Amino acid sequence: MKTLLKWFVPLMVLSLLLAACQPAASPTPEKVIETVTVEKEKEVVKTVEVEKPAERAVVRLSGWAASPEETALLQSILLDFTVENPDIVVKYEPITGDYWQQLKTSIASGVEPDVFYMDIFQFPAFVRDEVLLPIDDLMAKEGVKRDDFIPSLIDAFSDGGVTYGIPKDFNTLGLFYNKDLFAQAGVAEPTDDWTWDDLKTAAEALSDPANNIYGLGVPADPGRFPIFVFQNGGSIMTEDYSDTLLDSPAAVEAATFYTDFRKNQIGAIPADVGEGWQGTVFGKGQFAMVYEGGWLIPYLKQQFPNINYGVVTPPAGPKGEGNLIFTVAYVISRNSKNPEAAMRVINYLTSEKAQTKVLESGFALPTRLSLQSNEYLKTNPASSAIFRGALQGARPFVWGLVGSDVNEQMGKALERIYLENQAVDASLKQAAQVIRQKIAEVK
Amino acid sequence: MAETVSNRPVGLFRQGSSAEKRKKRSEALTAYLFLLPYLFIFLTFTVFSIGYAFYLSFTRYNLLRPPEWWGLEGYRRVLCLEALLPRAEDAPPLACDDLFIKKALPNTVKYTLIVVPTQTVLSLILAFAMDQKLRFRRLFRTIYYLPSVTSSVVISLIFVWLFSPLGIVNQLFNLNINWLNDPRYAFYTIMILNVFTTSGTLMLIFLAGLQDIPTAIYEAASIDGANKFQVLRFITIPMLRPVVFFVVTVGLIGCFQVFDQIYVMTSGGPLDSTTTVAYLIYKWAFRDTTVKMGQAAALSFILALIILVFTLIQRRIIEGSGSVGSA
Repeated sequence: MKTLLKWFVPLMVLSLLLAACQPAASPTPEKVIETVTVEKEKEVVKTVEVEKPAERAVVRLSGWAASPEETALLQSILLDFTVENPDIVVKYEPITGDYWQQLKTSIASGVEPDVFYMDIFQFPAFVRDEVLLPIDDLMAKEGVKRDDFIPSLIDAFSDGGVTYGIPKDFNTLGLFYNKDLFAQAGVAEPTDDWTWDDLKTAAEALSDPANNIYGLGVPADPGRFPIFVFQNGGSIMTEDYSDTLLDSPAAVEAATFYTDFRKNQIGAIPADVGEGWQGTVFGKGQFAMVYEGGWLIPYLKQQFPNINYGVVTPPAGPKGEGNLIFTVAYVISRNSKNPEAAMRVINYLTSEKAQTKVLESGFALPTRLSLQSNEYLKTNPASSAIFRGALQGARPFVWGLVGSDVNEQMGKALERIYLENQAVDASLKQAAQVIRQKIAEVK
Repeated sequence: MAETVSNRPVGLFRQGSSAEKRKKRSEALTAYLFLLPYLFIFLTFTVFSIGYAFYLSFTRYNLLRPPEWWGLEGYRRVLCLEALLPRAEDAPPLACDDLFIKKALPNTVKYTLIVVPTQTVLSLILAFAMDQKLRFRRLFRTIYYLPSVTSSVVISLIFVWLFSPLGIVNQLFNLNINWLNDPRYAFYTIMILNVFTTSGTLMLIFLAGLQDIPTAIYEAASIDGANKFQVLRFITIPMLRPVVFFVVTVGLIGCFQVFDQIYVMTSGGPLDSTTTVAYLIYKWAFRDTTVKMGQAAALSFILALIILVFTLIQRRIIEGSGSVGSA
């Protein structure tokens, strides 16, 4: 027994140690696999027909899973792709939870997927740190043309004349209005030609603070407020994102106009009526007008099916139209082993056929210009208004490397005005100073 | 400890016996064998991770690019002491983040100073109450303990509803406070939540401590003619001192690391009024577009240091004020 134990113990230790070493030892087997494929490639040259199905290129695809329906739709499109392209295997690996945290950690450990979703907001950091593969050559090989896409979208995913991503869908802001509240107040419904003055007059007529009804939702939301700055001829950041323009006169004027809605009780923030998001408040009929994106359409359909509403493009300001574009693209990792196959997957997912499917399901708007005159948009005026938004003075929702800081400071600047009654110019100046500090930190 | 002391002389005098020695060694080997699986997990997921984080705290790292050696720059940027000095209006922007020194640290200290005494006293009172021969004592005990076994995320969500402007709390007390969206109240709401969730567990610990006090002492006191208050003052509380130390320490560490309630309920807002050190670490590491992993790692070590210092101070206080020695 004793001798048995004497041998047994070191053996166990050894085996445990070996097991422990396995992850670290994995590079060696990988190398072996590589040499095998090289040999196979040589064989392919000899007998093309026979060997081809044996080495199917694997493309890993990741994105956030917005809803089970959307995931199912993507999977059905991928299935079609696999049928048409038997030589490519697409492994769809949706990320639930915090997408950016998981994506960035997977990049840090070198196991990122070949193709993944890229939000325009996060794009600058990924370009600067050379995570993304320039795809112009691959596009040419695959026959994908930049001109086929809405210019403001494809430009958003380009940097210095190099394309990094093919936009998969987008959203803009539209002015959602409650038709019943408009009828009750006897106010003419908005049109695409409205201006700031019309907006203010209507909000005055629609508001009834005693009954918790307000004309316009004016949340302290960095995803809404900037369009007022654009409409006033201003901007949030300089062209090269090296400085902020949040404390410029144009921005201060826009912020004054925006926050005055709440000050004069003809507008409110969702928290005023006990909600977190103004989409819910709009559905409940407490805000007569809100600026929201196409995502509100399916939400209203599900949660508030009885609401009678319309959508127009945002009213123009003193300096014309202005809108925000929220867009997501498919990008390829620089570490991808099969960039050509990856490009073919992207091309299929953004093809007219696939995008028509997505459009008809009502999840998102297509990025191809040719779908502008699609039947679906003609019969769905709400989606159509959101689509038109991209063509009128719209700018992508991106503020450079310090994007999240700019957003945070914009939100805080508005909160300070709302909750602490700080003067508009002082609050924006404070925000701009912090943003400059953040830019200095990144340098 | 006592065992090794008494064993050592025996070993010294019996140097010759090699069979004994071998047996000892094989016993030790078996012990290590049983320890090995845990040791392996401990080494990879704790020791290695802490070591790597320590290395990262001296680097500039955004996950997308490999870490780049930075020395103490990360620590300097976290502490950002320049932000405390008066600055000219047109001075160039500081290249550091004053969120820790100006918001996160004061918030966390305030949180700890309010929550730890409150929850300790409250749970002590609860434990006293539960120690009496009340009717439905078990039921009450279960009820008080229930929040502690519920997921903190679930409780946080329930609190979001309770404290919403049109929620039960406002209706019940006829208030019109926007609890979670008003920088004046948001942090207190989270404090209430935390006291609510942790008091149950602490009550249980106190209860165990109370029941551990030998009845002989109480009997002796009653023979000496001590009244109820004297018994509490001179017997119960001194005898509970080690338990108090434990409860305060655990509370202190928990308070300094408060994160999930804030993540779920306010995300550090409104206006940074609920940004704590732990939340700031998360924000820098994962939330911002400019990932500051190095800075976040540096702050983690600063936080660990702060907790250590506070625990030592508190140990001094509790040990110094009485004769009860090793806690």
